[in-house]
Amino acid sequence: MKKYLMKGNEAIAEAAIQAGCRFYFGYPITPSTEIIEYMARKMQQVGGTFLQAESEIAAIYMVFGASGSGKRVMTASSSTGISLKQEGLSFLAANELPAVIVNIMRTGPGLGGLGATQADYFQATKGGGHGDYRLIVLAPNSVQEMTDLIMDGFDLADIYRNPVMILADGILGQMMEPVIFKEPEKIEIDKSWATTGANGRKRNIITSYNLHNEAGEEKALYLEQKYKGIKEQEQRWEEYHMEDAEYVFVAYGTSARIVKGAVDQLRKEGNKVGLIRPITLWPFPEKAFIPLLNRIKGYMVVEMSAGQMVEDVKLNVNGAAPVAFYSRQGGITPQPEEIIEKFNNSYHKGGEQ
Amino acid sequence: MATLKDFRGDQPTWCPGCGHFSVMSSLQKAAVDLGIEPHEMGVISGIGCSGKISEYTRAYGFHTLHGRALPVAQGAALGNKDVKIIASGGDGDGYGIGIGHFIHAVRRNIDITYLVMDNHIYGLTKGQTSPTSSQGFISKTSPKGSSEQPIQPLETALVNGISFLAQGFSGNIKQLNELVKAAIQHKGFALVNVFSPCVTFNKVNTYDFYKENLIDIGAIEGYDVNNRGKVIEKIRETNGLLTGILYQEEKATFEELTPEFPEASIAKQNLHLDVNVLKAIEKQFQ
Ligand SMILES: Cc1ncc(C[n+]2csc(CCOP(=O)(O)OP(=O)(O)O)c2C)c(N)n1
Ligand code: SF4
Repeated sequence: MKKYLMKGNEAIAEAAIQAGCRFYFGYPITPSTEIIEYMARKMQQVGGTFLQAESEIAAIYMVFGASGSGKRVMTASSSTGISLKQEGLSFLAANELPAVIVNIMRTGPGLGGLGATQADYFQATKGGGHGDYRLIVLAPNSVQEMTDLIMDGFDLADIYRNPVMILADGILGQMMEPVIFKEPEKIEIDKSWATTGANGRKRNIITSYNLHNEAGEEKALYLEQKYKGIKEQEQRWEEYHMEDAEYVFVAYGTSARIVKGAVDQLRKEGNKVGLIRPITLWPFPEKAFIPLLNRIKGYMVVEMSAGQMVEDVKLNVNGAAPVAFYSRQGGITPQPEEIIEKFNNSYHKGGEQ
Repeated sequence: MATLKDFRGDQPTWCPGCGHFSVMSSLQKAAVDLGIEPHEMGVISGIGCSGKISEYTRAYGFHTLHGRALPVAQGAALGNKDVKIIASGGDGDGYGIGIGHFIHAVRRNIDITYLVMDNHIYGLTKGQTSPTSSQGFISKTSPKGSSEQPIQPLETALVNGISFLAQGFSGNIKQLNELVKAAIQHKGFALVNVFSPCVTFNKVNTYDFYKENLIDIGAIEGYDVNNRGKVIEKIRETNGLLTGILYQEEKATFEELTPEFPEASIAKQNLHLDVNVLKAIEKQFQ
């Protein structure tokens, strides 16, 4: 298959089109603007609809409306713009409308800056909008994986009738890497729920309004079951040098790329270290930790935030071994030497964790 | 008395020739001319190249978020009426994402001045179509020309009851300075829409374009600045390419119409309640 050298953001847009996305609604914001600009150029050529909305709020509700047609739809933004979409995400989830939402993160809180960050983990995985809902959250760590996960993301959204978020940072969005677009899988999906204007059948109505508590509970239990199913079926992670590892790093996205370098170096120095890289942030790859609990001597989480995913790691390690943490924030990426130093201080000098 | 130097803040990073320079110097000169001191002015801006005005002007300032300068400005104005509040931002900021707030600020008529640097494009994000871009405008998000009609900020303001409306051009800084001065002196919500060319990304709405096409209302015979209907008509006739004070009327402000609006600035009030007042309140619940 043909290899292209592409910027992460452009690869995202191209992958979406190849996955059959035919609606794009967006609003420009650095560092994700290349996605809307690519869609502006390409969407019409493939017979789809592109629209630059007046705000991120308008864009997410255009996604809402278009998704009701049962066809594939996407929007993208960066942190502060994603904050504006939170109400819409809650509504998409409640109405079980499939859509793909891309967050190429910038720093926060507030306006922040454009550097690399992973500070939106909580917002993405714990629900930034109201109510008990879940987004499926996928965290690529290369341009190739961005394209693969966009394609998978559309499938997951359709299969589970649920919004899917791709969570990446400005480095992944802006960097150029070779990429191959895999042939999108053809999956059969029942979309009889869609509001297609068909005649002669029961009308389809998209709503999440519910004033009867009994019916409300029924809906909540139904959603809970659905999310349990996703949790059972869809956990994804990558293992790196885990066969004989005694100490385990946990990191995702750009941080995981950097940690791989640190793992290689630590191995050269004779340390049995490995890496677990969550690919689904929700559902969190709990299954990756179960076989480790009796054998791992210590964990170390590396994030570009004040400590968000580390809470999920601690929950799953559940006291079986210490969990150390290293981070850089505000747009600064952690360096391998810093990670190694923190690791050595935590586990070789009996020092702080 | 403050001088222009006193109002200079951070070193601007705008592109050489950017229209926003003129807007900022007009504001600073207006403040000096009116005898306003830096600590008596608050510049509250949105996000865009234009939004940087609050960093570059040495006064109180809020560099807020995209589209939200007006609610923040209204809150600040109600909190401290002794500080002259200047809200400011771009066309994307104020007429796109912030248009809802704009209409409500107009009809509410709180005593603030709103300076919009209208360059018909998104500058900071490097050149996308804006809500004031003309139909057919080519940019990175409308490569084959925009399908949408531009918004009409002047008419929108007028039909929603604005009490002061002016329009200027960055290429005529002398007039712009006078317009900003009049807007600050006006009691109520005052809008100055400024054609402020983006020399880097907009090759259509240039200085030359405006020099050729703008008509000053001083040159229009019988122009009646108090006749809302006629002003709207004129704006339609000229496609909004007018400069000057376009409309003005004396109108009660939100502050004046609100029963028992506090006389003294809330920021300066002593909010420690008298024990006797508290006791009286307590009595009501006994
Ligand atoms: C919620 C949100 N969405 C998008 C952005 C990105 N953004 C920053 S400025 C801007 C538009 C700038 O255009 P305009 O307001 O016309 O001001 P100019 O830069 O032209 O002066 C956009 C889309 C943002 N900062 N926040
Ligand atoms: S990009 Fe345009 S609006 Fe921004 S500073 Fe440069 S000329 Fe001005």
